[in-house]
Amino acid sequence: MPDRDLDRVAVVGFGTMGSGIAQVVAASGRDVVVLEPEAERLDRGRRSLARMLDGGVARGKVTEQERDATLARVTGSTDVSALSGAGLVIEAVTEQRDVKADVLATVADVVGEEAILATNTSALSVTDIAAHLPRPERVAGLHFFNPAPVMRLVEVVRALQTDQDVIARLVGFVEDVGKDPVEVKDRPGFLVNRLLMPYLNDVVAEYDDGLASAEGIDTALQLGLGYRLGPLAMLDLIGIDVHRHATQSAYDATLDPQFAPPPLLGQMVAAGYLGHKSGRGFRGEYDTGEDA
Amino acid sequence: MTARELTVAVLGAGTMGAGIAVVAARAGHRTILRDVSEDALQRGLENATAFLDKSASLGKLSDEEARAARENLHGSTDLADVAPADVVVEAVFEDLALKQRLLGELDDVVSEDVLVHTNTSTLSVTAIAAGSQRPDRVVGTHYCNPAQLMKLVEVAEGRHTAPKATARSREFLEGVGKTTVLTKDRPGFIVNRFLIPWENNCIRALEAGHGTVESIDRAVVGALRHPMGPFKLLDVVGLDVHQAVSMRLYEQLHDPRFAPPPLVDQMVAAGDLGRKTGRGFYTYDSRRSFGA
Repeated sequence: MPDRDLDRVAVVGFGTMGSGIAQVVAASGRDVVVLEPEAERLDRGRRSLARMLDGGVARGKVTEQERDATLARVTGSTDVSALSGAGLVIEAVTEQRDVKADVLATVADVVGEEAILATNTSALSVTDIAAHLPRPERVAGLHFFNPAPVMRLVEVVRALQTDQDVIARLVGFVEDVGKDPVEVKDRPGFLVNRLLMPYLNDVVAEYDDGLASAEGIDTALQLGLGYRLGPLAMLDLIGIDVHRHATQSAYDATLDPQFAPPPLLGQMVAAGYLGHKSGRGFRGEYDTGEDA
Repeated sequence: MTARELTVAVLGAGTMGAGIAVVAARAGHRTILRDVSEDALQRGLENATAFLDKSASLGKLSDEEARAARENLHGSTDLADVAPADVVVEAVFEDLALKQRLLGELDDVVSEDVLVHTNTSTLSVTAIAAGSQRPDRVVGTHYCNPAQLMKLVEVAEGRHTAPKATARSREFLEGVGKTTVLTKDRPGFIVNRFLIPWENNCIRALEAGHGTVESIDRAVVGALRHPMGPFKLLDVVGLDVHQAVSMRLYEQLHDPRFAPPPLVDQMVAAGDLGRKTGRGFYTYDSRRSFGA
C-alpha cells in the first residue's frame, strides 16, 4: 500500500545526486519539486536529467513516452515556498554539515512539522544534522548511490533521534520507487562505505608502494573476483577528492587508521588529478567533455 | 612460443594441478601430469578428462578438440618423466619446504632453458625458488580456481628471476588463453592481498552488528555490483580455506587486518565450513562444490 503522504516529494539540490534522485522518484509516478537557489543551476540540472533519460532511451531501458512523462513530473524552483505541501524532502546539496543543516532548516519552516526530512549524505553524521532541525525525530538519512537511477541499493539511515515509524515509512518509500532498501545505523560510512573505504585506501597505498600498475591491479581484481569495475577505475569515477573527503571524515570521527587517507590521495587532489571530471586520475587521462 | 607445440609438465594432480593440465592440453601442448601418489594421479587424470568431456557436451569444445586435448594428456608418478618439459608448473600443496624440495629435485632432471612455474597463492616466490640452484628460471604463476575457467594468472618474479624468464612465461600463459598481470612478490599478490582484509572486514562488521548476513550481502551486491556478497563468497570458498589463507598472510605481514576474526574460528570449530558441509553463513540443501 503506497504511502500517499509521500507522493509529493521535494529534492533539494540539482547536482548529480539530486538529479538522479529526482529521476528515480519521478519515474515512479510521483511529482517532484527540485529546489536550487540559482536559475542557472536549475537549468543545468534539468539538462543533465534530460541527458540521463535520453541515454536510457538510447539503451532501450526507457521508452520515449516514459522519458517525457518523467521530465514532466519534475518542476524546478528557486523559491523555497514552492516546496510547501511536500510530504518528503530529500536534501542532496554539497557534503558540508553547515550547508546541509542551514538549507534543511529553511525548508523545514516551509513544509511543516509532519514532513519527513531526509539527507542524502555519505560522509556526515545524520544525528548531527538532525540535532539542528525542529522535530529531529522525523529526520533520517537516505543514502542513494551514484548513479542513482542505476544503483539498486539505498541505505536508510537511522539517526539517534529518528522514530522507528519514520524509518519504516522510508523503507516502504524506497521499495515503492523500485529500489532495494537496507536499514543502517548512523555510523561513519554507514554500511557500504564503511566496508568500501578501507579497501580503496588499502589499494591506493599498495599502488603507491609499487605492488603493480594501476591497470594491473584493476584487471586482477576484475578477472579474479568478477568485479565490474576495478578499485582504481572506481576512484576515478567517484572523484578522488570526493573519496578523500569521505574517508577523512570517517577517520576524524573514528580515529581508526583504516580510514586515514593514504598520502597519495592528498597529493592527487593537490595536483588537480580528481579522476574523470578533471581529465586525469589513476587510470590515465579522460575526455572531460562539455561539462568540465 | 605459442606457435610451437611444447611439452608441459604439471607437478601435483590436485584440483589446481588437474585444472592447469587441462589448460595446457587444451592449448595443444603435450602435457604430463605428475603426482607421487598413483591414486591421486588417476583421480587428477579422471577429473581432467571429465572436464574436457563436459566441455564438449556443453559445446565449449568440439568433439575433435576434446579428443585432441585428451590425447595430449599423460600421467606419471616418476619425476624423471618430466625431463623433456619446456615448462614445468609446480602445483603441489601450499607448503614451503615441500615446494623447495621439489624444485631442488627438478634441478637434476630438467633441461637448461626450462621454465619453472610455481603456483602459490600465499607463499613467497623468492623463498620457493631458493630451493633450486637455478632461481633465475623460477617464476611465480598464481592461477585462480577453477584454473580451467578463470582467465587471470598473477605473475610474480622472485628476487633472482631473470626478466627473460618472466617475459617468456607471460608469452606462454597468454598463448594458452590466460590474461597475465605482473605483480611484486608480496604476500597474497594482488587478489588475495585485497580480498582477505575485505572479507575479514565484512565479518567484523557482522560481529559488530553493522548489519546481518543477508543485509550486508544485499548491500554489497546492490551498491558495488559484486557478483556475490562477501558471506555467500566465503561459503563458496570454504571457511577453513579462508582461515588458512588469512593466517598465512597474517604470519607474514603481522597486520591485524589479515587475522581471521573469532567468528571464523568458531565456524570452523563447529564444522560450518560453507557449501561443502551444507552450512556456513547460509544453509544449503545440496553440497555443491565450487566450479561444479
